[in-house]
Amino acid sequence: MRLTAILSMAAKAAFPKDYRYGTSRPWTIAAKRLNPPGKKRRKVFIEPIAYEDWSVFKGDTVEILSGKDKGKQGKVAQVFRHRNWVILDGLNTHFRYIGKTADYRGTYIASEAPLLIRDISLVDPTDRKPTEVEWRFTEEGEKVRVSLRTGRIVPKPVFQRRDGIVPQQWKDGPKDTSPEETLEKTYTPSLKTLEEEVMEKLGIEEPRRNRKTYWY
Amino acid sequence: MGVLNALRRGLVRGADRMAEFTSKRGSRTHYKGRGAQPTGVLTSSRKFVPVQAMIPQFVVPNLEGFKLKPYVSYRTPAGTEPAVTPEGLFSETVAPQIQKDFEEGSFDKEQLEKYGFEPTQEGKLFKLYPKNFIR
Repeated sequence: MRLTAILSMAAKAAFPKDYRYGTSRPWTIAAKRLNPPGKKRRKVFIEPIAYEDWSVFKGDTVEILSGKDKGKQGKVAQVFRHRNWVILDGLNTHFRYIGKTADYRGTYIASEAPLLIRDISLVDPTDRKPTEVEWRFTEEGEKVRVSLRTGRIVPKPVFQRRDGIVPQQWKDGPKDTSPEETLEKTYTPSLKTLEEEVMEKLGIEEPRRNRKTYWY
Repeated sequence: MGVLNALRRGLVRGADRMAEFTSKRGSRTHYKGRGAQPTGVLTSSRKFVPVQAMIPQFVVPNLEGFKLKPYVSYRTPAGTEPAVTPEGLFSETVAPQIQKDFEEGSFDKEQLEKYGFEPTQEGKLFKLYPKNFIR
């Protein structure tokens, strides 16, 4: 238990306190350029939103409230919780060249800029208008997002895995244990250690004992 | 500026003195092992005699009818089983027997060995404390 705590501490404390998070992952060259060791930049202030109150997830349909694409609805492609950012598919774009070499001018593509959570609003699935959303509990005890204007539940988008596997439609391969075999309870509690049980089962007899050793 | 700040800016020079000195460092003639256990004895005529008892053997029971495979299907629902605690193990293995004997009237405080009580770990091959097996 303590080892895992230490390892998780090492994983989290890899960033200094004034690390400036961007849209690139921290191990990329762009992020390293943004955060060279020993840089001191003006601090970015972000609105502290608690983990339980976070309402926007990847795959949600949201509407932009301010900016160039005001009034348009789009699907959330990426969420950055450390800066309260959201990137929508194909909206709030600017244009740039990528893959530029010495002689080739590069491909002209549209790249999306992140939007703050404040400028985004979740869309009610029934009337497709932007609403304020609150977390409430259903009668079964499930935590759901409820739109304050209409009172309807905004369902959480289905989580799609990056490798494209849909667990319910998975076909077992030759090396896969089926769910029934995995959940079978074959453990019989006993006071013997595994080594003693295996010796008993295989009929191994070991009358020799270790020599007594001392340490000080 | 401070030692740590100087380090961050890459201004401190020198090798890492606290790094582990492994067999990869040192000269060509520097011999150092990586901590492998010996499997025999080196005689006075510089011949190595392997001792069969020092070579580790895998003891594998017969796996006929064993249904578990290396991987688990994605369709398995997520969840955990309650952890096996000493109290749980006692209540599952020993407590029913003690209860039965107590109701019959044959429970004896001095004869706890028949329920699996071990007063000392002397004489056992696999001692629980101090633990003398790797697992």
